[in-house]
Amino acid sequence: MKEKILTLPTPYGDNLELYKNTWGKSGEPLSIVSGLQGDHLNGLFLNSHLTQFLDSIVEGLDPNYTLTGQVQTFPVVNVNAVQSGSRLWPFDGMDMDLAFPGNPEGESAEAIASTLLHHTKDSFWGIILTSAPPHYEDAPHIQIHKPDSRVKKMCRDLQMETARRQKESSTQKVNLFHHWQEQEISSVMVSAGSPRTINLQQCEILFQGILNFLKAEGILKDHRNKNSENKSKTRIYQPNEEILVKTSTAGMFLKEVKVGSYLKRGQKIGEVRDIYNGKRLEELTASEDGLLITLRQYPIVYEKEPIALILSAKDTWQKMGHAIKSLVKS
Amino acid sequence: MQTQRILSIKSPLGPPVEILKHVFAAKSNKPRISFVAGLHGDELEGLYICHKLLRYLKELEISNPEAIQGEINVYPAVNPQALENATRLWPFFSLDINRTFGSGQADSLANETSQTLLQDLKSSSDIVVDFHSSNLQLMELPQIRIIKDFEKKLLPLAKKCNVDLIWIHPNAEIFASTLGFNLNNDKIPTLVIETGICLRIHPNSGDQIFNGVLNLLHHTGTLNITPDPVKEPKLVQPEQVKMVQAHHSGLFIKQVEAGKILEEGERLGKLIDPVEGSVLKEIVSPCSGLLFTIREHPLAHKGSPLARIAEVLDNK
Repeated sequence: MKEKILTLPTPYGDNLELYKNTWGKSGEPLSIVSGLQGDHLNGLFLNSHLTQFLDSIVEGLDPNYTLTGQVQTFPVVNVNAVQSGSRLWPFDGMDMDLAFPGNPEGESAEAIASTLLHHTKDSFWGIILTSAPPHYEDAPHIQIHKPDSRVKKMCRDLQMETARRQKESSTQKVNLFHHWQEQEISSVMVSAGSPRTINLQQCEILFQGILNFLKAEGILKDHRNKNSENKSKTRIYQPNEEILVKTSTAGMFLKEVKVGSYLKRGQKIGEVRDIYNGKRLEELTASEDGLLITLRQYPIVYEKEPIALILSAKDTWQKMGHAIKSLVKS
Repeated sequence: MQTQRILSIKSPLGPPVEILKHVFAAKSNKPRISFVAGLHGDELEGLYICHKLLRYLKELEISNPEAIQGEINVYPAVNPQALENATRLWPFFSLDINRTFGSGQADSLANETSQTLLQDLKSSSDIVVDFHSSNLQLMELPQIRIIKDFEKKLLPLAKKCNVDLIWIHPNAEIFASTLGFNLNNDKIPTLVIETGICLRIHPNSGDQIFNGVLNLLHHTGTLNITPDPVKEPKLVQPEQVKMVQAHHSGLFIKQVEAGKILEEGERLGKLIDPVEGSVLKEIVSPCSGLLFTIREHPLAHKGSPLARIAEVLDNK
């Protein structure tokens, strides 16, 4: 059911409208939010795909499934930014995900934030669909705050191999994610792709993950006796297992690898060329074996910019071993 | 004056992006005071004040160098790319650099820049003044905003700065990522001066604050000069601030200017419907007091701030 949850009049007559979709009535709901940034389109697509799928179930068009729990989606949060084709709404230049907890009497972003938080406060689970920051592409992965048992189970049920524990940030207390955590909603962020693009392959991976999650958590029953799969084991990477590869020159970055691939130490990621004469200024390589989780997409780069984020393949025991060896040597 | 490059980043097309610091050094134990402008690239009032300060100090170096008794650092343009584009945000990343402080991470160029600036200020300042203007929408009287937790340390300094008012307000979580909060949190008293509106310079207000800056430098012993007398600012507590918001969306036609002493019920302006030709609401002051913020941008959405008034309370 599509429901209007906020109407804000605009100066020229049209209303700004915020919607949620709800399926099912029993149980504590799962909330799925997309479009906090106006250019994160994978999430918008995924939510629309999910809507089509859940509509077909509740309308009895898909006999394979019965909805046994409750799902609510908020497909477009930063309505103004999506309509203006930009990450932020140009009128206020404000990052919607810095507006929480919001204020029902405040400006548009604050009113939207407050409404969203109000409508999700009773959720048991929360999923925020997002993409990489501007100029980057993310391989599909989960981002978490605290890896407690409920969140670990969410990661497994979403069937994603990779999760990153987020670093502490000075802005986190005004993020939706933080406020969900404060309300003890088991929540994760799922990131994939680049801003301003829809990657159908990545969306399909995420859709299958969410489908598995719905089955595993008992929100959806599959009549074909296909239980949820639990083949994959999620590895949670700590902040100290992240390796940034940065430029030491500026120019045009030409990448030679794909995001989501495993890199060997010394493997070439790409090179920076001088824009005017085409000469190679530097070659950028992986400093350790690991998973390339984020890669620069936009080719124009400044000095000191990260062009790749690698999640180290070394496990903690290996790292401790190296540390002990170096201590013994010294 | 010595000029230092605290950050230099090669750019794709050649000329580097640089943050400069001008240092007027003095070997003494007097406080080192730093002035920062241009964190938001569309806020130009602080650049004007820094320009006046640099001119004054350069002349003083020649005419009366002994008057400079403590170190003065001026960072006149700390967000060069945003300033060149006259945008609040760093355009390449659409990022507000004054929401990147305090993370302690250097995982993006913006964070690396804010970390470098923060560290440089911490290593070379005993007091910092961070100049800001308002956003595109609001006109502000010269004022200093102080988070309640830092009131004790900051209020005596703020009173020297020749501003119209000092607004004590409660802490909010969004401040945790700002330069001012992080310096104050690190025990470096930092005044955030707000004046005017973005993309404009109001020389009268700039000159007023410049006199306040000289007065502050004199009172801290950093400059041995005789400054012009400064005004006593109005001290405003949170409960005295009355905000007037739009209850309809439309165009706000203001009928008063910031600085006016208002009577309760006095007209501030009107909200009109530009499509239907009707007046949506006459906007009046909810109290008597000093009008220190007024909306300049006519486009107002429901909830938009239209005015702030420092209420006169009977017992104040």
